[in-house]
Amino acid sequence: MQKLSYLKPESLQQALEYLNQYNAKVKPYAGGTDLMVQLREGSSRLKDVEYLMDLQDIAELRGIEVKDDCISIGAMTSHTQVNESEVLRRYVPFLSVASSTVGSTQIRNKGTVGGNICNASPAADTLSPFVSLNARLTVVSVDGAREVMVKDAMEKAGKLKLAANEMVTRIVIDRLDGYETAFIKLGRRKALAISRMNAAVAVKLEGGVIADVRIAPGCVFATPDRVECAEALVKGKAPSAALFEEAGKAVSEEMIKRTGIRWSTEYKKPVVEALVQRALCRACGLPED
Amino acid sequence: MKKMTLNFFLNDEPVSLEIDENARLLDVIRDVAGLTGTKEGCGVGECGACTVVLEGESVDSCIVLAASVEGKHVMTVEGLSKSGQLDPIQQAVLDHHALQCGFCTPGFLMSAKALLDKNSNPTRDEIKMAIAGNLCRCTGYQQLVEAFEDAAKQYQAR
Repeated sequence: MQKLSYLKPESLQQALEYLNQYNAKVKPYAGGTDLMVQLREGSSRLKDVEYLMDLQDIAELRGIEVKDDCISIGAMTSHTQVNESEVLRRYVPFLSVASSTVGSTQIRNKGTVGGNICNASPAADTLSPFVSLNARLTVVSVDGAREVMVKDAMEKAGKLKLAANEMVTRIVIDRLDGYETAFIKLGRRKALAISRMNAAVAVKLEGGVIADVRIAPGCVFATPDRVECAEALVKGKAPSAALFEEAGKAVSEEMIKRTGIRWSTEYKKPVVEALVQRALCRACGLPED
Repeated sequence: MKKMTLNFFLNDEPVSLEIDENARLLDVIRDVAGLTGTKEGCGVGECGACTVVLEGESVDSCIVLAASVEGKHVMTVEGLSKSGQLDPIQQAVLDHHALQCGFCTPGFLMSAKALLDKNSNPTRDEIKMAIAGNLCRCTGYQQLVEAFEDAAKQYQAR
């Protein structure tokens, strides 16, 4: 295995100074569930890395804070903590559901939401709920802080648009009071399988019609995104299986528009349509078949 | 390579070990502490053979950086039995013949230990979720689930 030195900053300031001093030579260590595997494989992503920086003692990366219009989740919050959080279960249940489908109990106990995003896999299970919640990352360096939308954060698979001296401290999401949510994932098997595809939706019903809706399919675009044409299609209408079938088709058309016809399209098209339709039906309490 | 001294609690005993700074917890447990009950299967967090209990939670020790457990409590399969008495989880696995080759067994035992210490009255589905990260190539899952249901009764009675 690659020879690396261990850093354990006691404060955010110290972590930022390490990043500023060593830049790409230092790799933040959150839960380690992907990083330790990449190290073992001698991944080219880590070829310049000389230091692992353990983030466990930094208080600013911990905790879940509920505010008037948003919720702030520390980047070091584990998937188990997200899944078990009472406030997240109340306000954004589909995020808890998505976290409960990550890996296995052992992986969820170590793996973090910040790591899930920063590892920048387009197939990360929590990306689609985060994108539908307009999630933004708090990105910090010695020079100050800025916000980056999760949907705009990915440069390419495996790489975020962060400067070498920056790190993510928190993920801030919309608080969806009065919305019903659903997350449905298709994996190769039930446990220990990353998403092949998934769908995250949030629906606000008022007087029997859809007052607001968020539709985010997972793993179908190069970088995660909501599908606004599908959202516009159902907004202002009464929920029905037929309407949601149309929404599913709008999502698959958008997928083909953005990524083109590929060898896998024949399979992906009906699957993403079914996932979106079922997620919308589930959120609205309609039968799913 | 740089070495460091790692202090933590291994099966409730304070230990102080010289380790490589980038060592995996699994290698420290097996090669430095000499406790070989914890097994390496896949080495990438897929099979659960290396499961240990870290601060009350099950983790795959093959993907935990050893340096990160400074000051923490780690329990391995060797820590289950107390003064020559098997833990009810171990006894139940024996009683239910819930192993064949036994390579996966330490991992399953530690996943069950983390579960039952938190929840001594789990549903069958909760047991299955708790061990979903442990693979058994001899396909002994049914007996394992039944064994852990039995062990749960012993934990409730304690």
